[in-house]
This record gives sequence, structure tokens and C-alpha cells, in this order.
Amino acid sequence: MVGLVVVAAWLLVALLAPWLAPHDPLAQGSNLYQAPSATHLLGTDELGRDVFSRVLWGARISIPLAMLLVVLAFLIGGTLGGLAGYLGGWVDELVMRGADFVFAVPTILLAMAVVAALGPGLFHAVLAVVLVSWPGHARVVRGLVRTIMQSEYVAVGRLLGSPTHRALAVDVLPNIAGPVSVLAALETGNAILLLSALSFLGLGARPPDPEWGSMVSTGAQHFEAWWIGVFPGIAIVSIVLAFNFLGDSLRDAFDPKTIIKARGA
Amino acid sequence: MAFVLTTVVPGDPAVANLGDRASSDPTAVRLYREHFGLDKPLPVQYFVYLGNLLHGDLGESEQSRRAVCIDLAGYIPATAELAITSMVLALLLGVTLGVIAALRRNRLTDQVIRVVSLGGMSTPQFWLALVALYVFFYKLNWVPGAGRLDAIVLPPPHVTGLFSIDALAAGQLDVFLNTVQHLILPACVLAAFNMGLFTRFTRSAVLEVLENDYVRTARAKGLPEATVVFRHVLRAASPPIVTVVGLAFGNVMTGTVLVENIFSWPGIGQYSYRSATGLDLTAIVGVMLFVAIVYILVNMVVDILYAVIDPRVGLA
Repeated sequence: MVGLVVVAAWLLVALLAPWLAPHDPLAQGSNLYQAPSATHLLGTDELGRDVFSRVLWGARISIPLAMLLVVLAFLIGGTLGGLAGYLGGWVDELVMRGADFVFAVPTILLAMAVVAALGPGLFHAVLAVVLVSWPGHARVVRGLVRTIMQSEYVAVGRLLGSPTHRALAVDVLPNIAGPVSVLAALETGNAILLLSALSFLGLGARPPDPEWGSMVSTGAQHFEAWWIGVFPGIAIVSIVLAFNFLGDSLRDAFDPKTIIKARGA
Repeated sequence: MAFVLTTVVPGDPAVANLGDRASSDPTAVRLYREHFGLDKPLPVQYFVYLGNLLHGDLGESEQSRRAVCIDLAGYIPATAELAITSMVLALLLGVTLGVIAALRRNRLTDQVIRVVSLGGMSTPQFWLALVALYVFFYKLNWVPGAGRLDAIVLPPPHVTGLFSIDALAAGQLDVFLNTVQHLILPACVLAAFNMGLFTRFTRSAVLEVLENDYVRTARAKGLPEATVVFRHVLRAASPPIVTVVGLAFGNVMTGTVLVENIFSWPGIGQYSYRSATGLDLTAIVGVMLFVAIVYILVNMVVDILYAVIDPRVGLA
């Protein structure tokens, strides 16, 4: 529940940032390195910009992008995994070996290689994260499709003469929706972490953008003004933690084992 | 696959590495391309690379002008020291917290541990590293800042390349202490994520075992709780935990890229970052291949351990 509330709150912030933010996130002022005060709730940075407004505007970059790339990763990974699980054979081999390769290389190394190859930029960083995160979806969907296609109720449906696409739509889809939504919540958190890490390394968002990772990187160069880097970091922690909590409660909700336990059986 | 990924790119490494000279001096570009074999068609480049790979040659770095193998050999010990220390820390803490959480299930302790472990997995490591540096180095001055040793301390004689072990072997206690001081903060930061991972997996594995009848029997026999936990529960719960170690290795490698950059730790994390920003494709592919091989080895060891722990699993 806490997770859902915090995620909803951040989504609102992302939506309403232009009205919530007291200052223009890009407007440079004459008050540089101001500690947090009443006029500047979280202080000002090295160019006199309001850190609080920048943190709020940052939500508009990280959260929608993370959600978009989880959807993309699911569309790619889910389709490939579904095909692999349903068709089996060499399609299965091909998809799963591809997934193994991506798994064997640490996410950030691969993402860094992709971004370095395409050139730094937020769009390329998103592409890189999609490229490293599709195998997770593929594995989960493949496993689910395989189990469900082997289940008795699918066999019964087939005996009754219902076509395959009906089995996929009626039996398989509703049954993978639960686990997939758990995965989506957890993956959104991870995507925010990875995107901000790439921006921190200077491979994602470029400096004037109020992106959390690149704001932390600015803060790293101005140690005495701790507020420049600390608050964007807290923003990342809170949203990622919220998505993780959300994923956890979704898992509890969808897992029949925990339901039985909760009833005291 | 790694090769294809890094060759089919719009970025021109010749321009990236020669900088201004590239535009003003076309001969330099041509010589550069010839030197690295970039003037040959792609399939030829690929087979040359594969051929070299067969006898363990990863090619020459375009930035440092040295063989990638030699570069890697120089950076691996630093990363190994950091990664192993952080893994040990994460395992010790994670398993302990996980067991406590499972034994205190749904009580306040369990809730607190849940928040701590999820927090560890939700905190960006680059931010945690900076906050840790700010608090423990800049404000409190408890630990030295960046690097593996103080600038005035000479590294111990090279045996393994792991400074802590080399220093102990040479009997240089002061160097050893200095190494540990430098090691502790980045290792802790690096351990945070995996600590959370281990805690969660340990908790659920232990919970599953606790439901078994033999645990009830052991308790009914009046065995001390410690014996029950260590002999009966932890042993049966260890296979899933061991499996996560393989997974956790990937996280450590991801973490080192960020943490080594912030702590100026001369390891492969920093090397790969410099290679990526310098478009040093040979070096990046070399690092990726090396890490992938280590990952496969780690998971092989995990599989073997699995069979050792759980007699039902055959080695076949």
C-alpha cells in the first residue's frame, strides 16, 4: 500500500510539476550555492538554479521514460519469450541463447557499450536499457507459457476443439498477467536506477536537463554544497523503493501460496 | 555478438582518438586505420579477431596502445580485491539478517529488515558512494579518500596483486592496515545491493524449511535453537542462497563501474568506463568477454557447490 501511494504521489508530481515547482528549473539566478531555506526549499546549485524545482521536474524525465522502456522491453521480451515457449525447437534455442548472452554481461557494461557506440544522449540510453532488460521478460513469459500450455485445462480445451489462438487468449494471457505485472513494477524500479546511472556517468541526459542522475553527478563536483547531489538521490531512492514495495505487494496478491497462508490454512 | 554490436556503429574511433589531428591530417587517420586493421572489410576484421582470440589475444587497446590482455591483467587484481571483499560482506550480513527476519516473521524486526533490504536494492550505488564519501571522508575523516593506498605508501611486493594479501605475506602490517582502510568504504557501498538480495532470498528459503516436520521434531527433542538453525535449517536452505551468489556476481560487476569511478579505484570498472567514453571498442569487447567468461565460471562453481550441498542433485 505504501508503495502504491508513493508511486501515485510521484506520478502526480510528474504530471503537475510545472504548477508545483516554485521556480523555473532552468532559470539561473545570482544566488549560487545557497543552503536550503524558505525561498529555496532545497537550496540552489552552482548556477543558482532552484534544486527543489529541478527535483520535481526530474520526475517528468525519469518516471515516464522508465515506464516507456519497461513497456518496450516487455513487448520485445514478452513476444520473443512467448514465441519461444509456444513454438519450442530452434526458435526457443535462438531466443534463449540470445538472452543468456545478455545475462552473462553485466547490464551496465553492455549499456555503456551501446551508448558509447551510438553516442551519449537520453534516447540512446533508453535504447540501451531496453536492450539489456528484454531477456528478463522473455524468460518469465517463456516459462509461464510453457507451464500453462502443458496444463490440463488447455488440453481439455483442445479436445473440445477450440483453436490455438483461443487457448492463448483465454487461458494463457489472463494467467500471465499477474506475474508480468509484478515483474513490470520491479523492472520499472531497476530501469530508473540504470537510466540514472548512465546519466551519472555522462552517457544519458546532458547537463542542462534536470535529470536526477546527472544532478547527482553535478553534486559530486561540489562537495561543500551537499544539497545539490543529496536531494535528487533521495528522489531516486524513494521512487525505486516505492516500485519495489509495489512489486512485493503485487506478488503477495497474485501468489496463491501466500493467500492460503494469510487465511491461516 | 559482442563484436557485431561494437563494430556496426556510427562513431569513428579514429576521430575519437586522434581528436583534432583527425580533421587536419588525413594521413594520420589512414595510418591509424592501417595500424588497427580498420581499413580491411568487416568479415576479415572479424576472422582476424576470432583467430587472435583462439590463442588468448584480445587485441590492442586503441587508447592505451597496449594489448587489452596486459591492460586487463593490470586492472583485474584491484577489482578482484574489491569485489571479493564486498561479496563476503554482503553474504555475511545478508544471510544473518535473512535468518533473523525468517525467525521473527511478521514481527517488527522482520518489517525493519524488509525495509533495510529493499532499501539496499533501491539505492543508486553512485549516490550511496558519494554520500558515504561525504560523511565518512569529508566530514568525519574516518577513512582515507580515493585510491587503493595513501599516496606516500608504496604498494607491497607483487605476488597476487591483491594488496591486502601481498602486504600480509610480506609482513608489512602498516601497508595492510592502510589497504583495509581504503578498501572498507567502497566494499560496503558495493555490498549494499547484494546484501538486500541475499537477505530476501535467505528469508524465503529459511521460511520454507522452517515449515518442515523435521524442524519441529528437532525442536521437540529439546535441541538448542542455535543447533536447529545452523544444523537443520541453514543447511537445507543453502541451495537457493548459493544460486543467488551467481546472480549477485553480475551486480557486483555493474556496481564496480560506478563505485570504482567515484573512489578512483584502478580496476576494470574504471577501465571499461574510460574505454566506453573513448570509443575504445577493442578494450570494451575485451572486458565484456572477460567478464562473461568469469560469469560462466562462477555459475559453474555454483552448480558444483549445489551438488555438494544437496546430495539429491547429481553432477551429471
